[in-house]
Amino acid sequence: MTLDQVIGAGVLAATLRLATPILLAALGGVVSERSGVVNIALEGCMLVGAFFGVVAADRTHSVVLALAVAMGAGGILAAIHAVAAIHLRSDQIVSGMALNILALGLTSYLDYQFYGNTGTPADLAGVPDVSLGPIAAIPFVGDVIGNQNAIVWVALALVVVIQAFLFRTVPGLRLRAVGEHPRAADTVGIAVRPTRYWAVLASGLLAALGGAYLSLSVAHSFTDGMTGGRGFIGLAAMIFGRWTPAGALVASLLFGYGTALSFSLQGASIGSVQVPVQLLSTLPYVLTILAVAGFVGRSRPPAADGLPYETEGHA
Amino acid sequence: MATEPQASPTGPATAPSVRQPAAQWATGPAVPVVSVAFALLVGMLFVLASGHDPISAYVDLFKGAFGSPYDITETLIQTIPLILAGLAVAVAFRSGLFNIGAESQLLVGAVAAGAVGARFASLPGPVLFPMVLLSGIGAGAAWGAIAGYLKAARGVNEVITTIMQNYIVVFVMHWLLQNGPMTAPNALGTPASAPIGDGAVLPVIIPNSIVPLTRLHAGIFLAIAAVVVFWFLLWRTSLGYELRAVGLGARAAAQAGINPRTRIVLAMAIAGGFAGLAGMIQVSGVFHRVFDGFSAGYGFDAIAVALLGKNSPIGIVLAALLFGAFARGGTIMQANAGVSAQLVSVIEALVLFVIAAELIVRILAARRRGPKPIEAIT
Repeated sequence: MTLDQVIGAGVLAATLRLATPILLAALGGVVSERSGVVNIALEGCMLVGAFFGVVAADRTHSVVLALAVAMGAGGILAAIHAVAAIHLRSDQIVSGMALNILALGLTSYLDYQFYGNTGTPADLAGVPDVSLGPIAAIPFVGDVIGNQNAIVWVALALVVVIQAFLFRTVPGLRLRAVGEHPRAADTVGIAVRPTRYWAVLASGLLAALGGAYLSLSVAHSFTDGMTGGRGFIGLAAMIFGRWTPAGALVASLLFGYGTALSFSLQGASIGSVQVPVQLLSTLPYVLTILAVAGFVGRSRPPAADGLPYETEGHA
Repeated sequence: MATEPQASPTGPATAPSVRQPAAQWATGPAVPVVSVAFALLVGMLFVLASGHDPISAYVDLFKGAFGSPYDITETLIQTIPLILAGLAVAVAFRSGLFNIGAESQLLVGAVAAGAVGARFASLPGPVLFPMVLLSGIGAGAAWGAIAGYLKAARGVNEVITTIMQNYIVVFVMHWLLQNGPMTAPNALGTPASAPIGDGAVLPVIIPNSIVPLTRLHAGIFLAIAAVVVFWFLLWRTSLGYELRAVGLGARAAAQAGINPRTRIVLAMAIAGGFAGLAGMIQVSGVFHRVFDGFSAGYGFDAIAVALLGKNSPIGIVLAALLFGAFARGGTIMQANAGVSAQLVSVIEALVLFVIAAELIVRILAARRRGPKPIEAIT
């Protein structure tokens, strides 16, 4: 095991790459849950984003259209969840699980119908990397951030934007009020249900962008179930980051680093003991449980998270 | 994704949810039947849209599941773990808990059974089999109890814990089977453990002279026994009464002198035990070892099985049989009709979704019945 394998530029660049889809899902989770709707369908939103992004890239050869279609697909899935959770007052966990299964089944089904056993086409239009010119030439720093994908920068910018929106603007305050105490928000004239609709829709768009990043920036193809639970890691990052965008960024970087380490330490050994790299991958999940249980800080969700809202005297 | 508000360790007064199934579901099979019918109809549209004949696809699906004695036994092999994992989800639901962790509880049970079965492979069956059985159930129960404990003692929502536990087990199994203590040389081609001893194997129960090549094993009797235990425990013992009381309302149960905290831990342990048994049966009856990618998602399908079966013993058996038939028939349909086996996942998701949005069904039902206004029902 060498120092380079632990904090080398390659590991840190990989950390940023691996953190990005988790971060986008986590940001979606923050927006949705701050408004009081639990959205565990983020995993499904990512998956439809990944798949329909590839289909659109294949058919239109346009990256912009592909991203639009990907986010549209995620938005539609999220909208279904919103109707179920907000209007039909379904159990939000059951609805979310159903949509995750639906997304997995639907994308695998259509993948087989469209592309059979041969896989998605090899010449897909992909999201380009951004070369930072002179910065890319700086040793180490340039190796880490000099040639990251465009969506990595979009995700980082969204952290700032959403953090400012939630905590520095009036609509952001209203969204949080709806998630903390919908009755009070309603009393002062904030439209609870529309606010929640917009928030859930936004969460679907964000997660789908994360999915499109996986298929159009990283893999340049689609494989069944390719999100591999990153939507759930995003939820973990949201919780570990205490339901704030900045916290979600820190958590996503930490989780991304854990995964980057598990790649770079493959086959490495300390003394004669081989490093059990797979166990490093359990880090996000163990830390999240500890965080929610209050062993590592104390993570508290919005007070009305997951509870449907009824206006008085109306069923 | 909420932890429970600290002010009420006994759980919040939530809005109507699947966690109090008895309180809100109309009796009778109307909702499950409607949801399955709706899902099958929408599934037909999918097949039609992809340029295939939906009728022949469904005929192939049915034939694949029930077309011959061999197919029926294969369907039953799929049904067995679904029943047990379904019980794991249902016993938690009945106690007011949402167990999304049946998948990892099943895997932990399988790993424990596989480890004990291989480590003590030379022991005779009467000694080895009970050891393997108890280690599978015990490991699942312990893993489930962690989620129960964190809920009872620290107020952690069991949904979060069990989702995280599912992923922890996946990676721990990667390690155990790829380059860890259970890795066996030259097994299968996928990372796998050493085979369990002959004494731990559940025998095939139908002679090959009657159904050639059948793999149907004695685990089916364990599954039936588990269903009886589930029924007896919940409806014929005081513990079961207490669990259901906590499920219907933790605060009221606490007023009646039932401590919800200990019941929550027990409920999750029992749930984990059922799922662990499922994993043990897959090892002892079907695969005779543990390998990477061991479960075909039975623990997730189990959520749909429990909800579709309305958390009742008979309902769970019927729902597991339906999903078992989908699993078996889907692969045959793909081979014969060229329609992806994933169609059944779409159907399954639609079933689950309709149940989640049960209000739709109930509004429709209320309209048909006429005079009763919706407000009176909801």
